Amino acid sequence: MAAAPLPMDARRPSHTFGPQTIAAIQRMAEEGHYEIRGWGAKRVLPTFDDLVFLTASVSRYPLEGYRERCETRTVLGARRASRPLELDIPITIAGMSFGALSAPAKIALGRAATAVGTSTTTGDGGMSEEERAASHLLVYQCLPSRYGFNPADLKRADAIEIVIGQGAKPGGGGMLLGQKVSDRVAAMRTLPAGIDQRSASRHPDWVGPDDLRIKIEELREATGWEKPVYVKLGATRVGNDVKLAVAAGADVVVVDGMQGGTGASQDVFLEHAGIPTLAAVRLAAEALRELGVEDEVQLVVSGGIRTGADVAKALALGATAVSLGVAPLIALGCNGRTWVRDGVAHDATADYRALGTEPGYCHHMHTGRCPVGIATQDRDLEARLDPEAGARRVANYLRSVTMELTTMARACGKSDVHNLEPEDLVALTVEAAAMAQVPLAGTTWIPGRS
Amino acid sequence: MCGIVGLHLKNAELYPRLGELLVPMLDCMASRGPDSAGVALHDGHAMHVVKDVGPPVEICVRNGIAERGGFQGIGHTRMATESAVTTQHSHPFAPTPDMAVVHNGSFSNHATVRRRLARHGIGCTTDNDTEVASRFIGHQVAGGADLADALRMVLKELDGFFTLLVTTGTQFAVLRDSFACKPAVIAETDDYVAVASEYHALAGLPGIGDARVFEPVPEEVYAWTR
Repeated sequence: MAAAPLPMDARRPSHTFGPQTIAAIQRMAEEGHYEIRGWGAKRVLPTFDDLVFLTASVSRYPLEGYRERCETRTVLGARRASRPLELDIPITIAGMSFGALSAPAKIALGRAATAVGTSTTTGDGGMSEEERAASHLLVYQCLPSRYGFNPADLKRADAIEIVIGQGAKPGGGGMLLGQKVSDRVAAMRTLPAGIDQRSASRHPDWVGPDDLRIKIEELREATGWEKPVYVKLGATRVGNDVKLAVAAGADVVVVDGMQGGTGASQDVFLEHAGIPTLAAVRLAAEALRELGVEDEVQLVVSGGIRTGADVAKALALGATAVSLGVAPLIALGCNGRTWVRDGVAHDATADYRALGTEPGYCHHMHTGRCPVGIATQDRDLEARLDPEAGARRVANYLRSVTMELTTMARACGKSDVHNLEPEDLVALTVEAAAMAQVPLAGTTWIPGRS
Repeated sequence: MCGIVGLHLKNAELYPRLGELLVPMLDCMASRGPDSAGVALHDGHAMHVVKDVGPPVEICVRNGIAERGGFQGIGHTRMATESAVTTQHSHPFAPTPDMAVVHNGSFSNHATVRRRLARHGIGCTTDNDTEVASRFIGHQVAGGADLADALRMVLKELDGFFTLLVTTGTQFAVLRDSFACKPAVIAETDDYVAVASEYHALAGLPGIGDARVFEPVPEEVYAWTR
């Protein structure tokens, strides 16, 4: 006979020590280590959703959707590079390593980016042949670990991104658990196979902006001053860091807010380090304006960007482009209930269950047991992802986001998405008003300014 | 939400009548802009800008505009959109001693252009969008650009809907944006070039029956030099 349910007052949960906190403490007591997982911050944060656009009406006029063009073309890196990146849309694909992702996933992302006229990015694991072949414009990351970093790949990259930090784990290095360190991944990274890998959190040959300047010059010289040099920062002391990146010679500054994703990181980093993208973009744009370089140095913003509305808001607050990681993975099939082979859909729910999760909640990139073949190095699992079908889905998604972006820009009376400006936005919460430095809706009040 | 008018006189016999011809044109535009009005006149010595809050005829009478002569003049009646109804917010805006600009329409990225100008040391005295455009044109010309080129730069840098009319004494120019939604009509004879937001403002001009009357096409700079 089942026990009678407890009365309500006996089930009063503690806010400080809620059921999830109790479970986490119990797990740590049991296992003796902290939680490592993929995805990104799960907590509630101030986001772009807390902003809305003041679209056109009588004092300003909207553009028609069909006849009137709204430009999305985006140029990155014209400050010092002789061959800046010319993108058809201001939406790029962020760095995600081969290793964290399967080869079919990297191919699909490259093909999708090529199909919509944008760039994709390597990751903390080097440049793979398939990825280079699939990507018309490929940004090559230079990370603290230097896994797979070599002069030959440097020369065949279209741009170079020096990664100082990541929004998911600013101040920390990458992680790849042993189950994903396959023979091929190990060879590319010069590591033993099957052993947990923790990337460095600091570059080995320079620390600080003065020496970064030398590093940037070295990379420019090695590539004939052709390729744009990006500097990617995890969003913490954004104002200072952006200014220092510019002083060190960056053509493009990439600022990754705390909603940014990762293949594997300590939960303590994901939830407790860095600042939200909403605050980061405004601080970064302000830093460029203070230096008077906002028309020379481009700001790329990433971290939790999902929709055309997010892109429009990032652009309005001062970004030239955005970078997406988790969202294209979802478009690819991440957290999907099924995977498809030869037109037949196969249910993956049991595989999610085996990981202790369900479609819609999965953050198990770190395990290498991705049920849909994206975040894995397992041969059988990665065969579940058809790169061609995946590329179509990601391209569809990126096109839809672009249409949402131009829809919003047209409604604000802009013939170019880059003409969106902070004055087009108001905030729904005091927090968002303070972080984005736009007025609280219905008032002229910007916290901290008036 | 504004009315613009302008006269570029070619026949010197008309010079003494500049004000007399311009004031009725401006009055025709009163309903398009009941908040404030203003004119900028070139008389060969200097450019005179007169603007105030109220109906155009009252302002013109108070300032004796109809009695003034000259060879180039522009005028504006304002229906304020996003900035205050004051004399300072009224058109024409004069970014330099000899240039004045009037505008019908609404710029959608003037805050960004304002910041860009500030970086070059060009400050605006109001939060009006037309002042930003006028300072932008003034800055381009001060940097050595021809007025027509400066207006082409407006097409590149400023977004939104606009018909712009500029007088510099030596040049008189009209530009509409790519949408060409804000009305404009030009009448040209051997004696003058006249511009207005609506045709009826031109109807009383001498010899208008024989004038070449046309609507300026989008993104084309129309410029006359003296």
